Amino acid sequence: MINLAQKDVSHSLGKFLVTAMGVGMLLGIVLIMIGVYRGMVVDAEILIGDINADLWVVQENTMGPFAESSRVHEDLKDSISVIDGVKYSEAITFQNIQLPKGTMPVRVMAVGYDPFGNINPINPNRLIKGSKLTKDHYQIVVSKETGFKMHDEIVLARDRYEVVGITEKTVSSGGDLLVYISLKDAQKIQFLYSNSRVRNDRERGITGNDTTMVNAIIATLKSGYNTDDVATNIKEWKHKSVYTKQEQEDILTKNLIERASKQIGLFTAILILVSTIIIALIIYTMTLEKMKEISIMKLIGIPNSIIIKMIVQETLLLGVLAFISGNIFSHLIYEKFPKRVVLEIPDAWMLFIVVIIASILSSFIGVKKVISADPAAAIGG
Amino acid sequence: MSQQSIRVENLVKNFGEGDSRVDVIDGASFSVDKGELIALIAPSGAGKTTLLMMIGCVQEPTSGQIWLGDEKVYDNKWLSKDTRTIRREKIGFIFQAHYLIPFLNVIDNITLLPQANGQTKEEAEKFAMELLEYLDIADKAHAMSSQLSGGQNQRVAIARALANKPKIILADEPTAALDTERSVSVVQMLKKIAIEQDVAIIMVTHDNAMLPLCDRILKIEDKKVVSSKVMKDTSMI
Repeated sequence: MINLAQKDVSHSLGKFLVTAMGVGMLLGIVLIMIGVYRGMVVDAEILIGDINADLWVVQENTMGPFAESSRVHEDLKDSISVIDGVKYSEAITFQNIQLPKGTMPVRVMAVGYDPFGNINPINPNRLIKGSKLTKDHYQIVVSKETGFKMHDEIVLARDRYEVVGITEKTVSSGGDLLVYISLKDAQKIQFLYSNSRVRNDRERGITGNDTTMVNAIIATLKSGYNTDDVATNIKEWKHKSVYTKQEQEDILTKNLIERASKQIGLFTAILILVSTIIIALIIYTMTLEKMKEISIMKLIGIPNSIIIKMIVQETLLLGVLAFISGNIFSHLIYEKFPKRVVLEIPDAWMLFIVVIIASILSSFIGVKKVISADPAAAIGG
Repeated sequence: MSQQSIRVENLVKNFGEGDSRVDVIDGASFSVDKGELIALIAPSGAGKTTLLMMIGCVQEPTSGQIWLGDEKVYDNKWLSKDTRTIRREKIGFIFQAHYLIPFLNVIDNITLLPQANGQTKEEAEKFAMELLEYLDIADKAHAMSSQLSGGQNQRVAIARALANKPKIILADEPTAALDTERSVSVVQMLKKIAIEQDVAIIMVTHDNAMLPLCDRILKIEDKKVVSSKVMKDTSMI
């Protein structure tokens, strides 16, 4: 049997391909949206993964520095280090700062850590140039995406920092690029006030600030110790909130990113709905353009099934071609997005199934038109 | 077996109800024999196309009877639910314009219906090529309709109408879009088909020049169908 869909599409191939590419761009945006969510999840886990601590000790009744403000005393690390099962413990700080760069400062998240400590948050696999921090002061390791180069000087607070190392693909859960400075420098930057502010504080009776605060104490455990048991022990004796690495990841993905995922999910659903409506309108228009031919085919006796098959095949072909061009489109542009976009094959297959279902639903409108077409319309009066 | 290919008895068609009722055909009775080429004439709006559509099982009459070959297809109602199958198996249609499917080439246009009727592609194409040779356009078998002249397209439309070996052809002003020379050629071809294929052909026409080529004239007068003979102009045949 002649494949009417194939003949029709071949006859107006250019128009069909351009239409499919148009729909494909919409589907490409859908893939990008899903990729943005995947990127958020990956980004969220980078810092926690790189630090790779077994336990996070944070301010009591808070969920830790990634969810809300958390401050603990730096010397808490010494108390933690002697708890049974703890191998190493270190203090760590996180703060958003602006690195001056030309007229446009670069927003980053600065991770402050002890360069001579036992837990280093810089993942050697991400360090593409230079070294980790080797001194207690005035060194900085930056993310490649900040645009700074090795040995550049960056003015922070009242001091000059030298770029001693460059990492790649290091971002915070919020998508800010990561830089690493020493714990002492981080505390200095965090608590450095202007002279007028200091004078103002004195007038108010505020005579001193504790500048030895940090955002969390991180700890690794000796082998053979149960993470939950040690966490419970710290909670009981130190009046702090303690989270395992997995719990910190869950706080990020379930509590923080889940809301974003709902927003992205809703946006994705709307885009899919719009794509379905557009495919339906295209098929309706394509069917309308063929109404004379359809009436003639019905009049000369061609069964509805053959005509409907043509409409459904064309709709499916449009959906498949749109899906392919959407994939190509998304792969061409995803690296140009400022935040990480992760395109995964299972997501593409899921979208493919959705597109096929949407195409079948869209074809109904054309099929309805075919069924209602009057064969008498083929004969002029 | 009857010689009659089309038989119509007391066919009535009206539109609307009550005061707005319009009677188009009021008790038409006639028959067309196998091998006959009949011209159906009437002023515009008199119901030629309506009559053609009723015989072609496209439009339902109000009352009456219709036989196509030996099968009674209408007796105050369609006797089969599937009038499309009747059309597919018994009738070939030719229209005012060729109305070929623009995205199919000549051979596909001709073989579409036979393949829909269960013939294999090879069988349908073999017969289509025979038809194209018969109509002297075999060299255009793989051309698109947009590449053919008006006369060539109308020949392809005739080949399509013959593709399913129908015993009835209903032609709605098949020469309306053609010049006189091509019109004569097409009608002569229809006459040849009627005789050689033993097909009954009803051809709606406004062109009086085509009438001498036909065997008989059916004229719609006062909503009735009147049959009359034609004066043969043998020089044109």
